[in-house]
Amino acid sequence: MSTQYSILFKQEHAHDDAIWTAAWGKSEADGSDTIVTGSLDDMVKVWKWCDEKLELQWSLEGHQLGVVSVDISHNGAIAASSSLDAHIRLWDLESGKQIKSMDAGPVDAWSVAFSPDSKYIATGSHHGKVNIFGVESGKKEHSLDTRGKFILSIAYSPDGKYLASGAIDGIINIFDIATGKLLHTLEGHAMPIRSLTFSPDSQLLVTASDDGYIKIYDVQHANLAGTLSGHGSWVLNVAFSPDSKHFVSSSSDKSVKVWDVGTRACINTFFDHQDQVWSVKYNSTGSKIISAGDDRSIHIYDCPM
Amino acid sequence: MASFGWKRKVGEKVSKTAVQQFVAEAEKPEDAGPRREDEVDWLHAIKRRKEILLEDCAAKSKRLKEEGAELAGHGRHWEAIKKLDEAIELTPDNPLLYEMKSQVLTILQEVFPAVKAAEMAVKLRPLWWEGWQTVGRAQLNLGEVDLAVRSFQVAIHLCPSERSLWQEDLEWAWRLQKQEMATKEKTRQEEETKNQILNAPELKQDFDFESDEVLAACVAVAERQTRYEELKRTTVVMDAEGNIKSVLTGEGGSEEPSTDTFVKARGL
Repeated sequence: MSTQYSILFKQEHAHDDAIWTAAWGKSEADGSDTIVTGSLDDMVKVWKWCDEKLELQWSLEGHQLGVVSVDISHNGAIAASSSLDAHIRLWDLESGKQIKSMDAGPVDAWSVAFSPDSKYIATGSHHGKVNIFGVESGKKEHSLDTRGKFILSIAYSPDGKYLASGAIDGIINIFDIATGKLLHTLEGHAMPIRSLTFSPDSQLLVTASDDGYIKIYDVQHANLAGTLSGHGSWVLNVAFSPDSKHFVSSSSDKSVKVWDVGTRACINTFFDHQDQVWSVKYNSTGSKIISAGDDRSIHIYDCPM
Repeated sequence: MASFGWKRKVGEKVSKTAVQQFVAEAEKPEDAGPRREDEVDWLHAIKRRKEILLEDCAAKSKRLKEEGAELAGHGRHWEAIKKLDEAIELTPDNPLLYEMKSQVLTILQEVFPAVKAAEMAVKLRPLWWEGWQTVGRAQLNLGEVDLAVRSFQVAIHLCPSERSLWQEDLEWAWRLQKQEMATKEKTRQEEETKNQILNAPELKQDFDFESDEVLAACVAVAERQTRYEELKRTTVVMDAEGNIKSVLTGEGGSEEPSTDTFVKARGL
């Protein structure tokens, strides 16, 4: 276990073009660490993280345009990817085969997120609707309407109670999943919200916006609990640590920052990428961080535990 | 004052207009009030003049940009280019100028310089979707379909709510890309069929000329020949839904990209 933040591993030229999205999952079957990346080169790649290095397991072909978003089911068996070709594809991570391809309709597939029970996939759409697809059925099963603008970002709360969406005009909506009712509408930012993430106890929601700020909300009361500045440009991605005490952000200023939730201060900045960093995630224990971006490389960092 | 070398400091790379501006500014304060002894606060004087110069360049550049937009609006495209170039000399870091110049160059069918100018704009401001849209359009004009598809995707990724990017730019470029791929595939098939005619496997055997084998071989070769002729006569076209098919030549009408001669003045 390391006692300080440091870069552990760099995979240069992981894709042939900009990497737009990454996810880190853990397989329940064999306990292995799986990383999935999606790129402007139309490819979805599956990597294994073992012995402190990345090994390419599958290069998944199928999408005809850039891959915007990927997520891994909570048992680590299935990956979902969405592309500019308006298709959501489900992949079996064990065999590297496509399970399903769902036509989401033009411009109706952006961020994809598995529900905590991994039975559903939520995705934002052009008209401000959150579409929920069944993993088993491969069909659209519900729809939650924000009556707002294009939804860029989506997150389920880990307790399965809430679903939050971030829109291109900076509006945040929080739904109650059981009733499908819209609980809160927050005018959080004046600019697009590219990412949001719940704390492991589902009490806090962290949002990232093109305005360069990160905001923390108390989910139950819909109160703004803090505004954090530090990035010099758009904040592109945020992810909460499983330890509940930290979260990480990435930005078009080429940096990755780790924040302390208690003090709301940035405790470490990684300046290792050469271009915009589109995606950042924690592993299942919070001991590692992955980042990827326009420079086509994947970085893995060590976190003190 | 003669010993003080403004001009020596000004390198050759600095534009003429900027130098003239600078010299004019430098001369003005000469008679602006008496100086305290010989101990002039040079440091601040230099800083101040630099600020004045920068301010002035920005203002002049803005005026030139507006004039350029005005001229382009009246169809005087080459004159507009000249104004934009002058503005670029004054403020070489302004991406709006390169992007506007690219739009005007596109209208003038100066396809390669248009791509160069647009690329400069996104280099200066990589998160600007309109810049990427202009890059894509310029690349499409140059016939670089693959690059255009990429640029439009970058633009959409930055601003997915912009419908024109999906419905006009990406859709059109993507269709062209598919058509190009289909055409390549057809050429490959044609080549393959031709090769099979020339080196027909049936003709390589030793024939018993009394048998049916000869007949079968002849039929096989004839069939290939017909297929080749057919391939030669067809061409790849796309219907309105973007479905690609091969039809006999003469039937398929070619679609022309809509030529958008509207130059958007970039504000901000």
